[in-house]
Amino acid sequence: MTTNLKTWLRERSELGVGVLLFLLGVLVLTDALTLDADVTGRGPVGPATVPLVVGCGLLVVAVLLSVDVLRGGRGEAEAGEDVDLTEPADWRTVLLLAGVFLAFAVLIGPLGFPVAGALLFWGAAYALGSRHLHRDPLIAAALSLFTYGVFDKLLGVPLPGGPLMGVI
Amino acid sequence: MRLRTPLALLGSALLVLLGPPLLTTGSGSDTGTQIPGLRFMVPNTPGGGYDITARTAAKNAEEAGLTGDIEVFNLPGAGGTVGLTRLVGERGNGRLAMSMGLGVVGAVHTNKTPRTLADTTPIARLTEEQDIVVVGKNSPYKTIEELLVAWKKDPGKLPVGGGSSPGGPDHLAPMLMAQAAGIAPKDVNYVPFDGGGELLASILGNKVGFGVSGVGEYLDQIKAGELRLLAVTGPKRVPGLDAPTLREAGLDTEFTNWRGIVAPPGLSDAEREKLVGLVTELHGSPQWRESLEKHGWNDAFLPGEEFGTFLTAQDRRVASVLKELGL
Amino acid sequence: MDSLYSLIDGFGTALTPMNLLWAAVGVLLGTAIGVLPGIGPAMAVALLLPVTYGLEPTGAFIMFAGIYYGAMFGGSTTSILLNTPGESAAVVAAIEGNPMAKAGRGAQALAAAAIGHFAGGMIGTILLVVLAPTVAALAVDIGAPDYFALMVLAFIAVTSVLGSSRIRGLASLLIGLTIGLVGLDQMTGQQRLTFGSLQLADGVDVVIVAVGLFAIGEALWVAAHLRRTMGEAIPVGRPWLGKDDVTRSWKSWLRGPLIGFPLGAIPAGGAEIPTFLSYVTEKRLSKHKEQFGKGAIEGVAGPESAASASAAGTLVSMLTLGLPTTAVAAVMLAAFQQYGIQPGPLLFEREPDLVWGLIASLFVGMVLLLALNLPLAPVWAKLLRIPRPYLYAGILFFAAVGAYAVGGEALDLVILLVIGLIGLGMRRYGLPVLPAVIGVILGPAAEQQLRRALQISDGSLTGLVNTPFSVTVYAVVVILLAWPLLRKVIVRRRHVAA
Repeated sequence: MTTNLKTWLRERSELGVGVLLFLLGVLVLTDALTLDADVTGRGPVGPATVPLVVGCGLLVVAVLLSVDVLRGGRGEAEAGEDVDLTEPADWRTVLLLAGVFLAFAVLIGPLGFPVAGALLFWGAAYALGSRHLHRDPLIAAALSLFTYGVFDKLLGVPLPGGPLMGVI
Repeated sequence: MRLRTPLALLGSALLVLLGPPLLTTGSGSDTGTQIPGLRFMVPNTPGGGYDITARTAAKNAEEAGLTGDIEVFNLPGAGGTVGLTRLVGERGNGRLAMSMGLGVVGAVHTNKTPRTLADTTPIARLTEEQDIVVVGKNSPYKTIEELLVAWKKDPGKLPVGGGSSPGGPDHLAPMLMAQAAGIAPKDVNYVPFDGGGELLASILGNKVGFGVSGVGEYLDQIKAGELRLLAVTGPKRVPGLDAPTLREAGLDTEFTNWRGIVAPPGLSDAEREKLVGLVTELHGSPQWRESLEKHGWNDAFLPGEEFGTFLTAQDRRVASVLKELGL
Repeated sequence: MDSLYSLIDGFGTALTPMNLLWAAVGVLLGTAIGVLPGIGPAMAVALLLPVTYGLEPTGAFIMFAGIYYGAMFGGSTTSILLNTPGESAAVVAAIEGNPMAKAGRGAQALAAAAIGHFAGGMIGTILLVVLAPTVAALAVDIGAPDYFALMVLAFIAVTSVLGSSRIRGLASLLIGLTIGLVGLDQMTGQQRLTFGSLQLADGVDVVIVAVGLFAIGEALWVAAHLRRTMGEAIPVGRPWLGKDDVTRSWKSWLRGPLIGFPLGAIPAGGAEIPTFLSYVTEKRLSKHKEQFGKGAIEGVAGPESAASASAAGTLVSMLTLGLPTTAVAAVMLAAFQQYGIQPGPLLFEREPDLVWGLIASLFVGMVLLLALNLPLAPVWAKLLRIPRPYLYAGILFFAAVGAYAVGGEALDLVILLVIGLIGLGMRRYGLPVLPAVIGVILGPAAEQQLRRALQISDGSLTGLVNTPFSVTVYAVVVILLAWPLLRKVIVRRRHVAA
């Protein structure tokens, strides 16, 4: 019974999209209703009108999508040149990539752009299956430093240089 | 093979760690007005008012040999309060300054940000600019008096166009005018436009009843007769422009927009003196004089403490107007 | 014919060796910087402003024009090759251009874009010379109700890009509209969906949304399903446009300016809405509808031509009225003031040499741009031959640099990742990505114009239909909506008659 339920749910995992859309709709509506009603401005369309319309739209679409899924409708997963849909999804790589990206966001402040950028490139390449341990870090470092030079030095778009700035 | 991997790792680590400091050359000495590594933050987008002020000031200071390279960078957002929040966060950083103006004072109130200008170190006010009241050439209103009569009669039917979001200078000016004219600021039909472009089109096409803008923005259109200038909002008439002040028109109010420079909080006296000194030297330089003339900016130099007092007074005035509007 | 003589004089100015050099330098620098992530034309012009300080005004503006067009083209290059648009006008180029590049037709996509830019720029500039005073006069008459009518038309047009499943397309559009809601309400300054964060107060930048949904979403999706049996690099294919490509593209190149130029000239037009309208038009008119979304060359040619022509339209309003209709124009306006020149109604009388020199140099710059980029297209396209892990790591890297360089905020990177994850989910469940991006572009613009129109009319609904322009547009909308019904009636009549 439980296994049946599981497979039933797995086949209809798109229902999750419906649930998310519904929650998003609720969020938009709550936000719209908590807007300060005092500053309404003029005319029939105030700051809350469009959010209300969008929020209701989300709820309606969430319900319609769920009905469609229950009736057997399925969204087609996107195909592409580099995409192999015959294999099951490799969520480990996705998590790894997302983690590397998040690490970049966290590290760019303390370690500076060149270090964080090199780690991002190397980490992403590693996650995607590149295992040239003697080549990848050098490519990553060179790319990162070059980008830093172009942006920070040539163009004057400031990027953090790292912990050794001003020390040497 | 076994050795190559650690070597590569070591090499790349050295590259990314040592590269950036080595790329930075000639940081300059810390003498006189020189502040090596000075950075100038612009809290709005490239091409905006604070941006032009900051880039011009930086360029003039470099040309006058007052300091080495000044790095100007933009951190736009929420009427300048994103930049302000960053500035306050950089406590004790004597190598950072931010260009700002009246608009930031208003944005602090409308966005209800926890960081305010009272948290910054005031360096100097640089320029000021009056606002103007303009209508299109086909507008039925020939004088400010005619306009005021119509406005008082039905404020809702006479939309006012301005280039700033609520709380900005072009919003405050008509609100102060309304107050003086006996119109409740809440009844004013203010229509915000982004930037000067769409606003100008709306005034030229008589889409709005009248427009409020900085005096420098539409000089050419006024001279060409496309726009009719009805009044200036400052305490004195603007030379070369044939328009009365609001006071002459019987409105007991005046309004002047201004721009200045602030620095992060927690600076030592020496650091603060140094920044004020640099800006004072800049103000005295022929390069800055020339820029003022080129851009049609009015010199309104007010350094250090006095600027701080001025900021507090402005803050109070803006707060009282916005409070009445419920913002 | 006065303007023709003035233009010939202008060519005299533009074709002096020094000015020719500045135009070339501008085009080169503009393209080089436009290719960099996170740097659109406005930023490029602002960054290069100091380079021109030493020049006399004519040379400086000739160089600016080169930078402007160069940067627009550079932005499309990364869109096509790496799926990472550098600015909002280049978003549409990624939709068809990137699939083409993946299929080994990168050189063709780039060539179609380059020729599109050339054609759009040329036609746009010719229209600028001929129509400048007329267009300028008309642009002023376009107000909020008219813009809103145009937006309604655009929303109707969106239905044609919703994809095979209407309901999933609508879901995507609504996600886009929701993202578009984030930020300060422009009319009253109230915070919507910002959760008290100041960084969100200005909303989520369209470029961040596009890069997140396209580049990051795609990279993650590919990571989840990477072909393990690969090893084959993306084929580079023929370097030049084939006969077939040209037959399919030439009409699109010519149609683009018709949409781009007028919308560029009006104050709230900008470049992204024309590119999107051009894309929808091309899709409607194409004989190869099934290829759209998978790499249809018309979908690159038309929008690129429209983007370039809209840049020319922008210059019309700026030179004749002093109206900056885009961020680039605002920066250029600031540059004019740097030289003590005030663009506006008197500019043509006061500085004829400068204006006509500038216009002539637009033609020159366009030729240089084409001459430079057409041969380079196959070279650029080879970029895709680097191994997959490096390619996708590089895309992530450049997307991150772009998002960070704009504001220097680590939070932007987190937003980018979140939107990327949304993009991943959308790909998994067959929600088309394009409607979401369009929702982000159109939603806020439509809301603002609607409310502005109503405010100007002091709340009266008649304020939406009180101009001939808006009424005309609504009539077109009604005809478009009623067309399927009308057709049925007509067919039935015929049946009855027969």
